[in-house]
Amino acid sequence: MKQILRSSSIFQTLPKGWKSVLILFGLVAVLSLLMIASPDYKTSRDTLAPPGTEHWLGTNDIGQDVLSGVVLALPNTIIISVVSAGLALMIALVFALVAAIYSRTLAAIILRMVDIAQIVPSILLILLLAAWFQPGFTGVILILALIAWYDDVRVLRAIILRELTRENVQYARQMQASWSYCARYHIIPAIWPSLLALYVQNLRQTAMKLAGLGFLGLTDPRLLTWGSMMQDALNYMYEPAWSWLLLPPALCLTVFLLCILFVGQRLERYSLAMSSETS
Amino acid sequence: MSLFGKLNTALVLGVTSFLLAAPAQAERLVIADSKGDRGMPAPFVHHKNGPGFIYTTYIFDSLVGQDENGKLIPELAQSWTASDDGKVFEITLQDEAKWHDGQPVTAQDVAFTMDYMAEHPYIFSSVANIAHTRVLSERKLQLVLKKPNPNLPTTLLIVQPILPKHIYEGQATPERFVDKAAATGSGPYKLVSYDKAQGRYLLEGNQDYHAGKPKFDQLAIVKMSSPAAIQAMKSGDVDIIPSLPLEKVDAAKAAGLEVLSVKSNHPVRLVYNHQGTFKDKSTRQALAYAIDRQALVDVVYRGTAVVADTGYFQEGSFWHTRQDDPSYPYNAVKAQVLFENSGWQKNEAGRWTQDGKPVTLRFVTEKRFKKIATALSDQLEAFGLEVDLRLMERAALQQASTTGNYDLTIYSSSTLGDPEGVGRRVLRKGWKSDQFGHHTKMKQLLNKQMTISDEAERRVVLKEFQRLYAEELPAYMLANPIWATAHNDKVTPRFLPNGIAIGIPSALPKRVFVEAGEE
Repeated sequence: MKQILRSSSIFQTLPKGWKSVLILFGLVAVLSLLMIASPDYKTSRDTLAPPGTEHWLGTNDIGQDVLSGVVLALPNTIIISVVSAGLALMIALVFALVAAIYSRTLAAIILRMVDIAQIVPSILLILLLAAWFQPGFTGVILILALIAWYDDVRVLRAIILRELTRENVQYARQMQASWSYCARYHIIPAIWPSLLALYVQNLRQTAMKLAGLGFLGLTDPRLLTWGSMMQDALNYMYEPAWSWLLLPPALCLTVFLLCILFVGQRLERYSLAMSSETS
Repeated sequence: MSLFGKLNTALVLGVTSFLLAAPAQAERLVIADSKGDRGMPAPFVHHKNGPGFIYTTYIFDSLVGQDENGKLIPELAQSWTASDDGKVFEITLQDEAKWHDGQPVTAQDVAFTMDYMAEHPYIFSSVANIAHTRVLSERKLQLVLKKPNPNLPTTLLIVQPILPKHIYEGQATPERFVDKAAATGSGPYKLVSYDKAQGRYLLEGNQDYHAGKPKFDQLAIVKMSSPAAIQAMKSGDVDIIPSLPLEKVDAAKAAGLEVLSVKSNHPVRLVYNHQGTFKDKSTRQALAYAIDRQALVDVVYRGTAVVADTGYFQEGSFWHTRQDDPSYPYNAVKAQVLFENSGWQKNEAGRWTQDGKPVTLRFVTEKRFKKIATALSDQLEAFGLEVDLRLMERAALQQASTTGNYDLTIYSSSTLGDPEGVGRRVLRKGWKSDQFGHHTKMKQLLNKQMTISDEAERRVVLKEFQRLYAEELPAYMLANPIWATAHNDKVTPRFLPNGIAIGIPSALPKRVFVEAGEE
């Protein structure tokens, strides 16, 4: 008992950032335990079994255990969508900065490029790419980034244009600060909340688009993600099975997006605190 | 009521209002098709699948028809006789046959159709063997063949729709001819309206039909998912669900509907790449032993399919001969021995290698086979064979199959109809075929049976073919799905023992919608 009390007091003395790290570790531990405890994600004769003692979250239409599916899909979903959504946002940010800061012609070129990319359905691009090569894990991440970045450029450019008129940026420019300095210390911190919102939006989109890639021959359809599990569940919307096929992956995806939002807000507060300390 | 019950009700209401717009006093039959659009019901524009073909047969007659038991009966042709050498067919047309616009059907129309389809091939039949036609009179003509084909009635005459010369003459691009006039046929029903976007058809009975009165004043085909269709049938808005998913059978029976179900004989088969990894018979057989087909059927079909026969024709179908063909019961040890005999080895990690390199099987197929492909991949990986599974769009798949960029694939096609079709599905190069044309013996057998008209003699040859197919395994027949049709008492659908025309396993041959002729 004493031990617990002590440890809980240690927990309270920890700096705020570390608390969430500990919670994260706890989550990982629980998940790995679940992964060990839950049966293999293999097809079996136990099809569409409702949740019960053997399959805690039931099974899908080819007898795969939903719980182990949700757990197995975790690393795929998180790694692929976090990286490709980040990559997409980075590409978009660079283009938006260039389009906002530099000459009108450059801006026009970039914006027309975005127009074209937005008009041509991304499915065509994916089909073309799938015909050319068989991407591996990293290839899939790149492709997802490639079909996501252009949606962010316009929004970002508008926000950046507004920032450029602010006094701090104008002042820094007067003091001979370079554009990259301004971007790093004035523009990006100011637009951080918008970046975060766009990032979460990208995450959600890439997670769902990832599910579609398997149907276009780009990935092995057995590449398990929450998105693909949700897509498979859609066939059972008329049957009771939808509740245990759709809800678990959907819930996981929601929690994941909320976590990202939370972490992003934390980061924002942290950087605010840092900058106020230094000044 | 499920979450989507309300949505269903809304859908049913929508379709009902569409039906109410038509005159209410007429005797109407409503068919609920889950896919809806099957293309404009005319020979060059209907979709390249069974339902597209069947809907077109309601509007277009062929020369030869099928009765309720699938036996050949006169349709546009009153009679047909073959010359002794099987090279000349003399056809006499019905006296009273008329096109939907009132013009008489003449021998010129038939001759025109043969010439026109030589230029613009029809997808389900080929006139390549017809040298020329000879019109003898308004009602009589001769078809002169290049090579004798005693089975012309079951291979061509039963399939090929006859076109009205006065409408199709001068049409340079029939595949773009979608005017309502394109659907001017001589069949028991006329096209009233076709809505591509909604997938709706409205046909009306052709009161001048030469071979019996149409049973219904109107035939409506509407797009409706099966749960919605079952509800609509309960309330009497829908009369037939042509393809009812088997998991819905209990729901349909509970709703008081009659359900007709049969083995489709449209099996799902695993096709090997004979130019690459599976060139040797022993590797094909080894893989067959490594697959537990009963488990596949249990997992993927949940009682809605049976394990298929390995000798191409399926048990109970017209051309099947009962014999003890090898059936490759699951046997991992036997599979292992066979693979080892063909030079494959298992490494320490338990993975199969060929010439020292680990084997990764490239398994490509369509989206609709995702479940069976996943379950199959699971089995193969448990056996130590790495699988790279890809679901592809049709065009990409066609390319993969013609360039040979695959090891395994899955096709499904009908094994019914005149066995002429077997050659197309086994020997021919290209997609949806086993591409086994390099096998001389099989080619000989399949060519030989096409020259025989006597059924018993043909069976002897086909029996040998079955044995050879089961042994050589151009493809491994996995599952024979059961298909079901739900209906009420307004209509009695039936599956023909050898399928409709080219062998389509559907319970809606056009005879179901026509009163028996006054014979």
